[in-house]
Amino acid sequence: MKRALVAALLIVAAIPLLSIVAELPPHAAPDSPAYTHVSAHYLEHGAEEAGAENIVTDVILNYRGFDTNGEVTVIFTALAAVLAILLLPSEERVEERPAPAMPVSMVVRFVVRLLAPFIALFAVYVIMNGHVTPGGGFQGGTILGALVIALTIVLGEDEAHRLLPRPARPWLQAAAPLTFVVIGIAGIAVVGSYLGFPAEEPWQWVRTAWLVILEIGIGVGGGAIIGTLFWTMEAER
Amino acid sequence: MAYWPHWLVVVVVAPLVGAVLAPVVGRGRPKVVALWALAAMGVTSLAALNLIVRVAEDGPFSYDMGGWEPPVGIELRFDEFGASVGIICLLGMLALLFSYRYAEHTLPTERVPYYYSLMLLNLTGLIGFVVTGDLFNLFVFMEILSLSGYALVAVSGERIAEMAAFKYLVMGAVSSLLVLFSIGVLYSVTGSLNMADVAARLGDWGARSPAMLALAGLSLGFMVKAAIFPVHIWLPDAHAIAPSPVSAILSGLVVKVGVLGMLRVYQIFYAAETLDLTGLNTLLVWLGAISIVMGAFFAIFQEDVKMMLAYSTISNVGYIMMGLGLASSYGLIGATVHVFNHALIKATLFLSAGAMIYRTGYRTLHDLRGVGKAMPITTIALSIGAISIVGIPPTAGFLCKWYIALGAFQADQPFFGVALVFGALFIFVYYIRMVNAFYFQPATHPEIAEVSEAPLSMLVPVIILATLCLVMGILGRIPLSFIEPAVTRMLAPLGG
Repeated sequence: MKRALVAALLIVAAIPLLSIVAELPPHAAPDSPAYTHVSAHYLEHGAEEAGAENIVTDVILNYRGFDTNGEVTVIFTALAAVLAILLLPSEERVEERPAPAMPVSMVVRFVVRLLAPFIALFAVYVIMNGHVTPGGGFQGGTILGALVIALTIVLGEDEAHRLLPRPARPWLQAAAPLTFVVIGIAGIAVVGSYLGFPAEEPWQWVRTAWLVILEIGIGVGGGAIIGTLFWTMEAER
Repeated sequence: MAYWPHWLVVVVVAPLVGAVLAPVVGRGRPKVVALWALAAMGVTSLAALNLIVRVAEDGPFSYDMGGWEPPVGIELRFDEFGASVGIICLLGMLALLFSYRYAEHTLPTERVPYYYSLMLLNLTGLIGFVVTGDLFNLFVFMEILSLSGYALVAVSGERIAEMAAFKYLVMGAVSSLLVLFSIGVLYSVTGSLNMADVAARLGDWGARSPAMLALAGLSLGFMVKAAIFPVHIWLPDAHAIAPSPVSAILSGLVVKVGVLGMLRVYQIFYAAETLDLTGLNTLLVWLGAISIVMGAFFAIFQEDVKMMLAYSTISNVGYIMMGLGLASSYGLIGATVHVFNHALIKATLFLSAGAMIYRTGYRTLHDLRGVGKAMPITTIALSIGAISIVGIPPTAGFLCKWYIALGAFQADQPFFGVALVFGALFIFVYYIRMVNAFYFQPATHPEIAEVSEAPLSMLVPVIILATLCLVMGILGRIPLSFIEPAVTRMLAPLGG
């Protein structure tokens, strides 16, 4: 009965939604407003005005950098939420954890350790190259985070915790929003508006440098947060 | 460019920096991190004050992020509605001060910095939501404040709190999704995310139904956030179970996000003049009226003080939504000012109730009998809050409810004016019950007489708020006349 009711409700909601979506500008129609208004400006002037050949990077770091400033804050909020609810008081932390039922096999352990520097290198590449090719801080940061998780599994918690030294940890976790604020304020000082980038000759290298710094901040912050989330939830186990 | 528009950046960035650095500053030092959070909000308040003075003198102004002119870049826009940043800062400061003792005693030391971090993030989201002129940016800030809101409900770590937070999260996620989807629809028919630009271009796309869909999605999404009947079900548990300073922020400010979101939606769609909003207005007035009566009705049967206050929030948001839906100048002015006054009053009530719970450890009317003699100042503050929320003349609640009632007559819908007065009577009943229990009934627990007054860091916010409830009743004309130009501008396309 309940299921039938839910199904009926879904159908009733779906009919108007689908019929209206059909009236939206067709996908990939050249005269659709989504392609002719703001995005046309981005495509036409992006590379030269905003400083990165990858137009997506132009939009997320330069034209709409303030949105990304907010997005990295959302990620930080997720971290603060998990830590405020799950962080165990130091006296409750279990020192001796029972060994996992299935120990990590030697092959896996060896391969992960062998690959670790290459994974890290790839993360750095994705972060640094984000303004030319697809990729950037978010993607690279995720790779870094995955590396931290993989190493935690094979090396055990104590070894892995040395990857992010305890005193530096809160700084690393806040890296992304802090980088945005620092570059933003630099923008006020140099260009006169928050997150503004110098665009005139001969200062374009400054713009490129700032974009790369932002990518690095996002990457480091993202990696540190993913790692911490994993550790915190694991301790809760 | 003159230096002062940068204050608009400061109001968003200062609490943000405070939030992300709270764990750095506060590692193992719960007292220091409380002061740090207060300092961050102090800077924010200073900036907010500057902005409000500016907007009162010169009218609305904009700030182009990154120097990109809208719609290419993101625009921050500060208008008279943006002046709600003032109340966000004030309540934020007082709730943080109130948390000083609360966090230290109830949370493990390790978690305290993250509690303050979440509080500041919540305030950042609120402020950003209010000052942005860009639809997607609005969504980003809504996510910051929603996410931190869910976490703050669960922060006490009790099982029931986690359930309440989860319910809040599910409803909130659906509403966020609706809002995001509608923003996508608006983008696909206008190619723009800037609110003013969307309004200007909305008529260009032939079919009107996408605009209707967007309007419906945005309204429903914001109604969930505002906890209007019938999508209010997440509110009572979440607001009652959260720590008291969090309840004050959630009930006073976070539900208003739904209201302010609706205001922005109305600004866009009134200016676009493509759709007839009469249907939506009628719906809002009815749902508002039902919320008033229903919230008040359920509040009567609550034993838990904070549960009662939570239901009363549903009633009061009902008043505000009704004022919006009436679409007459009096109704709208009353509604927007009630956003401000209700925030003050509800914070007074939640914080004074929180102080009682902190001292006595009891939270039901039955258990709290006789607390009036033991904690006289707190109880007086709570009574002032109660009188204000009923809307008895010299207090803050009176003028705006009066204006909303006038608005009903102005809009030729006197029935709703009557409904409003009935709602007030209901509300009167349960607050009388509360005051009666605290002052006139013999104590259930004799040891309550030995309880001393709340510590200073709790008493000071409560006294400030209760005083403001009285002062705003006497100076009530100031916000009314402050908001009037914005309302006139907004209703101008309707021809008056």
